[in-house]
Amino acid sequence: MAEVYKLIHPVKYFNDYINRNVRPDGRKFEDQRNIKLNVNAIKSTDASAVVKCGNTTVVCGIKLELAKPKAEEPDFGFLVTNVELLPLCSSKFRPGPPSDHAQVISNIVADIFANSKSVNLKDLCIVPDKLAWVVYCDMVCLDNDGSVVDACIMTLITSLKSLTLPKVNYDVETEEISVDTSIRTPLNINGLPVATSFAVYQQSPRSIVLIDPSAYEEEMCGGTGANLIICWNNGQFCGIQKFGGSNLSNEAEKKTLIIAKERSKLVEKVIETCLKNEIK
Amino acid sequence: MAGLLLSPTEKIYILHGVQDDYRSDGRTNIDYRPMELETDVVSHASGSARLRLANTDILVGVKTEIDVPKPDNPGLGKIDFFVDCSANATPEFEGRGGEQLANNISNMLQRAYNSSQAFDLKQLCILEGKQCWKLYVDILILECGGNLCDAVSLAVKAALFNTRIPFVKAALMDGGSVDFQLSDDPYDCKLLEAGTAPLLVTLCKIGDKCVVDPSAEEESCSVISLIVGITGNPKYYSKDAIETPNFKCKCSTIGMNGPGSVAPETFKNAINQGIIAANSLDEALGRALLRERQECNNFKKNSYGFLK
Amino acid sequence: MPLDYRRFNGPEDSIPYNYYTKEYLKSYHELHRELIDENGVRKDGRTLDEARSLCMFFARTDMISQAKGSAYIELKKTKVVCSVFDPREIMHQNEFSALGQLFCEVKFAPFSCPRQRRPHAPDAEEKALSVALRKALEPTVCRHLFPNYQLDIFVYILEHDGACLAAAINAAGLALADAAVPMYDIITACSLAVIGDQMFVDPTEAEENLAIMNPEKDGINNGLITMAVMPELRQISDFRQIGSMDVNCIMKATEVLQKECEKILPNIQQILVLNVVNSFEQQKQLEKEAKEREAALNAKMEEWKTLLNAG
Repeated sequence: MAEVYKLIHPVKYFNDYINRNVRPDGRKFEDQRNIKLNVNAIKSTDASAVVKCGNTTVVCGIKLELAKPKAEEPDFGFLVTNVELLPLCSSKFRPGPPSDHAQVISNIVADIFANSKSVNLKDLCIVPDKLAWVVYCDMVCLDNDGSVVDACIMTLITSLKSLTLPKVNYDVETEEISVDTSIRTPLNINGLPVATSFAVYQQSPRSIVLIDPSAYEEEMCGGTGANLIICWNNGQFCGIQKFGGSNLSNEAEKKTLIIAKERSKLVEKVIETCLKNEIK
Repeated sequence: MAGLLLSPTEKIYILHGVQDDYRSDGRTNIDYRPMELETDVVSHASGSARLRLANTDILVGVKTEIDVPKPDNPGLGKIDFFVDCSANATPEFEGRGGEQLANNISNMLQRAYNSSQAFDLKQLCILEGKQCWKLYVDILILECGGNLCDAVSLAVKAALFNTRIPFVKAALMDGGSVDFQLSDDPYDCKLLEAGTAPLLVTLCKIGDKCVVDPSAEEESCSVISLIVGITGNPKYYSKDAIETPNFKCKCSTIGMNGPGSVAPETFKNAINQGIIAANSLDEALGRALLRERQECNNFKKNSYGFLK
Repeated sequence: MPLDYRRFNGPEDSIPYNYYTKEYLKSYHELHRELIDENGVRKDGRTLDEARSLCMFFARTDMISQAKGSAYIELKKTKVVCSVFDPREIMHQNEFSALGQLFCEVKFAPFSCPRQRRPHAPDAEEKALSVALRKALEPTVCRHLFPNYQLDIFVYILEHDGACLAAAINAAGLALADAAVPMYDIITACSLAVIGDQMFVDPTEAEENLAIMNPEKDGINNGLITMAVMPELRQISDFRQIGSMDVNCIMKATEVLQKECEKILPNIQQILVLNVVNSFEQQKQLEKEAKEREAALNAKMEEWKTLLNAG
């Protein structure tokens, strides 16, 4: 019965919940979903992580390759991040080249990550002007139930933290390369960016902020994704992105910043615990 | 096969005929319809053949190019198949309609020629790890009258048998570059060994028996067909026939086509039937190709086919 | 290849690092010796005729919340996700098609293969697998029930450690059943790699790779077979072989594969039955709660009635 109601009167259905101060999945406005994290699940990669925030599932796999650095930046390596929103994760995505929405998500993730300066690209250079690492990070969304960017950043940083680079010997004279996989050194990561998504719902007297929105809530709030993404990096505020036309009062903005900060602490703890357990 | 409507009674008539190994046009279950084959029809190609089987008309040209071998297989050459369904072949091919069919056929050929026992790519090697020949097999479907896979594989084999590769001497110079020496005589060529090249046989399941080379009526009685790629026997393809008593034909690929399914027993019988059919087909093709080559050597042909 | 402007691209000439490791240039013999030890035990502890269908098998449904039906299958390292969506009308079609169509897409994750990174754009292998999957599923779906509609089936291979087509078919069969698509029978599939006179049932990636490599010794059997079966109806719905094998070998392989496919069946059945039992229990729970609510409302109604009557 409820399903039929949801289909016929989607807005009314949603409003009925919001007026009773509860969200359709039973959460309160500032409740986030459970986070499950797992590292090194995929053995064909050099590092990998799987994260589940509620139903949203994102897998990140890292593959290492070698290449010659760019002529204009001879002592820089490469880090290539891509987010793939598969047709299987939601009926909104069709097979073929990535849609505009998928490109936007991919760009947001890349921007957040580049702004955080977590990886120094100079660390990825092996011999200047001759050889450098190319770190391909592919994030794949298997189930899109909202707040994809949060999950992407989380898997990306977790898998990078568990990444180790094998030893490369480069003979300058003969230009011969040999790789010894038995000796591996971890990659240096500074900071830990955490993104938190919000959906802003405009109801005439007040605007309501929903943390960690599901796909249905994102849709009801008028966006193709979350309306507001806030990033914290190791207790420092590092970015805010707002989309769509909804407006936000000053108090609400302050509140979201505090919530995002609290959440970033929690996520940090989750990642640390997960990595510690893996090492054991 | 649009526009072909058969009543249930007609279908049963065909089905009963197939059960008794006597088809409505008088063939047995492993008989092909008569076909015409012509080789060396395109003067610009290294090897070519044209085949006509009932209404199906196929032209195959083989082009050769020098390429760099793959790092995983430094001693092997390359072979590439490209199928083009001409829009005139059948009304269904208009626009992009033929693309999927073309892809299917080229995939099937690629898989059938994958094994070294089907086609030895070592003969295409010029200088190990540095240079090899790459064969481009271009298949043009001029008219489609059913049973494309079989016809295409026959024509490809004939074209490969007919292909000449110039003798090239390659030497490694200092600094890793390769130097080629080509003989001045354009007839200084070697022929490809294509005796083991596979033939694809499509077995159309009607009732619980299978038939090869189905007519349009028979095709409409069947929901599934089996495609079996069988390697050829080189003894049919050389004049000084060296008898290799232990030679056994092998399956180089098997695939299924169509929306239906098949019982395991029928499947096994069909494979055995396919091997018998492929063997007799291979023998006939070998004989025809050798005769053609003989004629070519003895006197200049003065009969011309439709394209030459 | 033209540059893909919709994604971030790395440098054009990057090479996987394992190209330079010692393991890369091993001869056929060395590789073959590594696969199996003197006692006939494979690298992962299985015997030659042992599939990963027993202890190394994991499957579940309801993987993806947004899809109508979904399934996840794991054969030790091979991991496959599949989702099925509601039938939708076929677009840009001129003719009426009496039978519903299946649209299948098989995709490898960029990081799924141990040897090299996969490109984002679909390559020839993915296209061939998609066609194979469609052909395997077509006979089992009751397509006459949704004329002029198409059913989307997406398979994603997260990690490829052999038998990925078989895993994809198994996952798709399970997802179709989970999506409540009418089917004639459950579909199961299994692979087999042949190297000489050894038959590796349910091969790993290393075994598959060696089986399609051309052997140094001429004339021995080698190749790969994948077979999909509808076990109750005893019908073969798809059979793909590559390599070169003689007839006896194929006949033997068919028998072995048929048995293996039947062995997978209880695994799939168990999951489906469990799903039905669970949903029944859920339904019961919901009904119970609804009754309680109704009773509470009725009680309140009575209360008011008495109040009203008294007033």
